Amino acid sequence: MGERKVTVAAEVGLHARPAATFVQRAKQAPMDITVARPYSGDPVNGKSILAIMGLDVRQGETVVISAEGEGSETILDELAAIAGAP
Amino acid sequence: MTTVLAPVEGAAVGLAAVPDPVFSAGMVGPGTAIDPLRGPGKAVAPIAGKIMKLHPHAYVIVGDDGKGVLVHLGIDTVQLQGEGFKLLAAEGDRVSAGQPVVAWDPAAIEAGGRSPVCPVVALDALAGAVTGVAEGAVHVGDELFRWE
Repeated sequence: MGERKVTVAAEVGLHARPAATFVQRAKQAPMDITVARPYSGDPVNGKSILAIMGLDVRQGETVVISAEGEGSETILDELAAIAGAP
Repeated sequence: MTTVLAPVEGAAVGLAAVPDPVFSAGMVGPGTAIDPLRGPGKAVAPIAGKIMKLHPHAYVIVGDDGKGVLVHLGIDTVQLQGEGFKLLAAEGDRVSAGQPVVAWDPAAIEAGGRSPVCPVVALDALAGAVTGVAEGAVHVGDELFRWE
């Protein structure tokens, strides 16, 4: 299972544009994508805008993005870049 | 099937008219947008359910079937940090369709240089799942679209 731990840099947090961009990329991935807060809470579906909004990640908070399978490292890098973009 | 009601009074103009590509390109989901009547008003819950997220400028109601509807009050209004918005309910509250959630004034948003247009979006829905989208004048509580 591949993971990326990312600090969300966008002023609005992982909402609105960053959330929509993240989910749009995640939906293109063939495997499951999950997003969780580190050390607490269950992972949520990274392909669901509702789930990502519900996670309510604010600027400066950290998330763990997980995926498994062929190509997952590349996808995780891209998703980490989206989630970490200012 | 979920019937989504107009959360504000105004003119249903479609998501393509929203001056933010996240909404106009349908990245958040299908639905429509309302160009609201200028003047103080109360934005209501478009469906019955639980208030999953409540920001002054936006809220998400999730129905018992798990469908979530986003109402965004104006564009780039997160920058206002709540100024000009008054919460009439709390996150986690159960609301009925048509119950007031946020009091605001679209005219004040516009006077501040922002668009007061309100996207109403079926989150995670496929484009074809939204039908019967209203066009033109809508009153609060009118049927805005259906989510199959």
